Amino acid sequence: MNAYSFDSMAVPALFLFLGLTHFTNCVVASGSHSSSSSETTMHTNNWAVLVCTSRFWFNYRHMANTLSLYRTVKRLGIPDERIILMLADDMACNARNKYPAQVFNNENHKLNLYGDNVEVDYRGYEVTVENFLRVLTGRHEMAVPRSKRLLSDEGSHILLYMTGHGGDEFLKFQDSEELQSHDLADAVKQMKEKRRFKELLIMVDTCQAATLFSQLQSPGVLASGSSMKGENSYSHHLDSDVGVSVVDRFTYYTLVFFERLNMYDNASLSSLFKSYNPSLLMSTAYYRTDLYQRHLEEVPVTNFFGSVMETIHTDSAYKALSRKTSGRADIKISPDKSINSDLNPTADSEISDPVNVAKPVDQQCPFTRFMGSFNEKVEKLEDVDSLVNYSLFMMLPLLLLSTWFIQQKLGGPSSSDYEKLQAELSDLQTKYSQLLAAHQETCKELEVKNSQDIEPLSTKETTDGEAQKERL
Amino acid sequence: MAGLSEVTKSEASEPHEPDSGFDPKSMRKTKPGLKRLVLTVSVLISFILGFPLLWKSVEIYRAPLPFREIDHLSAELDSIPLLFPCHFQAIFIGFNSGADDLESSLLDRMTKLTSQTPQCGTCGTNYTVSVVLDSGSHCLESRSSKSSCPWRCGALSAVDFGGGDDDEAVDEALESVLGGCSGLGSGGKVYSVVVVKRDEDVRAVVGKYRHAWLSGRVSETAAVSRAAEIFVKVFVNGGKEEASIHGEFMPVGADGKIVISFNLLNSDPRDGIYDWDFHSIEDILLAPVIEALKPVANISVESQVLYHTPKSSFSYWDDKWGSFIFSTDDLPFFVNSNEWHLDTSIAAGGRSKILHFVVYVPSAKECPLLLQPKDGEVSKTNGFISPMWGGVIVWNPEECGKVSESKHPVRHPVSQQDLQKVIEVFMGQFRQLFGLKSDNLYVGSSGITNLLASERGFTIWELDVLSRQHTCFNLRSCATTLGSLSRLVQSLPRMIIMDEIGKQVEYSLEAAKLAQNNASLGVYDSSAVASRQARSLAEDAFFHPSIMSVSYYSFEHCFAVYSPFFLPVAMHVLLAALREWRRYKQENKKYLAWKTKSKQNILNSPH
Repeated sequence: MNAYSFDSMAVPALFLFLGLTHFTNCVVASGSHSSSSSETTMHTNNWAVLVCTSRFWFNYRHMANTLSLYRTVKRLGIPDERIILMLADDMACNARNKYPAQVFNNENHKLNLYGDNVEVDYRGYEVTVENFLRVLTGRHEMAVPRSKRLLSDEGSHILLYMTGHGGDEFLKFQDSEELQSHDLADAVKQMKEKRRFKELLIMVDTCQAATLFSQLQSPGVLASGSSMKGENSYSHHLDSDVGVSVVDRFTYYTLVFFERLNMYDNASLSSLFKSYNPSLLMSTAYYRTDLYQRHLEEVPVTNFFGSVMETIHTDSAYKALSRKTSGRADIKISPDKSINSDLNPTADSEISDPVNVAKPVDQQCPFTRFMGSFNEKVEKLEDVDSLVNYSLFMMLPLLLLSTWFIQQKLGGPSSSDYEKLQAELSDLQTKYSQLLAAHQETCKELEVKNSQDIEPLSTKETTDGEAQKERL
Repeated sequence: MAGLSEVTKSEASEPHEPDSGFDPKSMRKTKPGLKRLVLTVSVLISFILGFPLLWKSVEIYRAPLPFREIDHLSAELDSIPLLFPCHFQAIFIGFNSGADDLESSLLDRMTKLTSQTPQCGTCGTNYTVSVVLDSGSHCLESRSSKSSCPWRCGALSAVDFGGGDDDEAVDEALESVLGGCSGLGSGGKVYSVVVVKRDEDVRAVVGKYRHAWLSGRVSETAAVSRAAEIFVKVFVNGGKEEASIHGEFMPVGADGKIVISFNLLNSDPRDGIYDWDFHSIEDILLAPVIEALKPVANISVESQVLYHTPKSSFSYWDDKWGSFIFSTDDLPFFVNSNEWHLDTSIAAGGRSKILHFVVYVPSAKECPLLLQPKDGEVSKTNGFISPMWGGVIVWNPEECGKVSESKHPVRHPVSQQDLQKVIEVFMGQFRQLFGLKSDNLYVGSSGITNLLASERGFTIWELDVLSRQHTCFNLRSCATTLGSLSRLVQSLPRMIIMDEIGKQVEYSLEAAKLAQNNASLGVYDSSAVASRQARSLAEDAFFHPSIMSVSYYSFEHCFAVYSPFFLPVAMHVLLAALREWRRYKQENKKYLAWKTKSKQNILNSPH
């Protein structure tokens, strides 16, 4: 789509000077209610849906972001069969890739993300809004294999990670369509309705990521985004060998946090969220917790990014086959993994960026400002739906009025014109009749005179009053 | 406008006589023309007539869904939990008190044991109790027993309860006497307890069918309380503490299918390859189990042998046990899901449940490997389960720990005895997944009761319990799914609903009704089958692929799409018609005014 542009375009010289270091993930553009109860069920399994939504070589970093997350959740214990990986393009096999079949998220090239055992479930043109929503809602055609389905249940914790180019309340898929915030909210609502998750963490690395969560209503949903409304998300650094930026800032610092963890750790979600430093991110990491019941300090990140299996020891075999009743055995249930929430937030990682030279771009045209303030006002309104309905109805009289007005100005005579003309007409008629009457009178007089004077003239006068008058 | 000027012209050119009282401003002598009005109105009418056509063409097809029935079903299941009728029969041999007294005291005990809030899938208070006193020569029956099956006096005299060890024989003998009775009567099954007064230690045994017996030196009150406990806690609740079944212990897929996937994992094939003859196990040991569980789930079995599958956590050597020990705290990290490619099934559909059962052969480096559920003890079964996932059994081969000298890995078939042991543990795990215990003992408040194990994996009364609970769970699940669907459909008025969905909902409701009817009649098996069908159909309807939020849109969207096409034209047509109508009215008024005037003139003229 041609509707997007890089914010840095406003300062092209500087932009070139910086060597294309800071791509933004923005698309410049602008964009229902229910509730369901949640029950206390045991957390039994973890799922991850990782989506990279953009095509083309210069979006290399989005694929690298997604693959990095894929590697992390796999390392922390989510099995491949419970990860739905959607990659909109295949950078590893791109002709421009200097390192064929390899994808890196760092210019040091230490870690090949596209190593072994990468199971991509949806690739290339399969990554569409429709397929994405089908994965979430579970409405697949019969032939879709199990590995492509999100087979979660009411005890599932789901991590939904998305990266790509986005804007106000939407995320672009494949340069051709977009996922809007209400589509996402609708899908999540349906998932909640069918008890397809216990808790859901949505993590989005895109411009104005926070706007994507504005319509979410379902309880048990935790949302985290790379930037607030009106902010851009920037890439972290450029790999001069590969030739493009290889990772986005938000994802980069998320990975920095997770590299220090293994699956036994119980660092809390709040420590993850606190680890985001706005000055390093160059945007404000946002997280929405109002739909989430638990305290973030008490939730280990492995609840979403890892998988800890619930196990119960089997106490006794069923000895029907040997027909011998065994002695008593008492029940031993392995104590649930006690999760001590450690509350120390990890110190902000001061990782020196190799190319940390970019300036936050903040230019707004008056129209944008006006729209911004208008949007703010609209947001303050509580019942947006009814407002829309009212305005629809208000449109009708407006339309009527404008049609009327156009007719008045451009169309033919209106009824008042008509009346005026009529009045003029009747005026003229009365005048005419008066004149006629006067004329007839003079005619009679003339006749009398003529009959007295000359006889032959009397035959001429009957035809034309005008001639008579002239002669007079 | 040309037309308008024409009108004025035609009016102007009217022949007129100078008439007294004719005011051209407010009167006219001719009838106003209808042509223009008819023209504009006909255009308008054609628009209006076309509107339903347009409406029809943009209309979204929605199969009618029985919303009321759905609401009715959920309300019904919410208000009154599904209670099955149960019939209990107590047979006292060698006692000599009144049958009716015994019955009332038994009823008393049972109401105390039954939980106050009726739980779904149990009998609640919907049960009947009858008591028979048999003293060999004559029998006494309590009054209520008339309705249930008749008792043949002295029928049990041939049964030898003193066998002690030979419980199986007693069980079979009881079945031959009492078995014919089950299923008779007013519907539902009859559970019976036989109490025999004998001069020996008290023993209570629950058989494989629907009866139990109690023999020994037992007083009347003790016998009554134990019989009541067996009825309520064992026969109705399945020997579990809590009666209701949780989602975690409902390992049946939404389409009512289970795929049991058996995996033999050779963690390091260099130390020897173990192989099994799975067909023989499947045919001999698993087939009866699958057959027995048929009402509850449609089970299919598959197996595979995998190599190079290390576990993901480490064990330590313990001298005390002379083996490697894996502690409970590490159990969650035992399954190495990245190396164990278990889910290779293509037989399982999207909504089936796959239960993985893993037989793990440790490598020579850490063999024998034992699980330690708590300090100072090792696991008897060497296995554990994960709810909704399956189970793991660590199997240590005899010759393990010895690194073979030969360069090529040696093939070892797993012996039949070992396989049998493994399958026993598997049965224990499988029952655990269904929420049933396998230690063959029920420890109640009034003593220990032995439970006989069935070679089918589940005893008849356990299958009854499972059927009841699954019926209840399935019906609830069906009701919530249909409720969700109806809420979804009603909240999105522009969603397409195909006929197929309507049919599925209809059939699902029918199946649910059938299940409810069967439940109230006490036909457990068929109610379980029908409820499974109801749930599966409801899921099919909810997950129908035609329901996609990208393929439907809101009313605002529709308005925005069609209004640019029609609104500008429609407005003009409407306004023109209005204006013509007004003009006609005005002109008509003038004409009428002139008419009345002229009438007056005519009336006045003779003077």
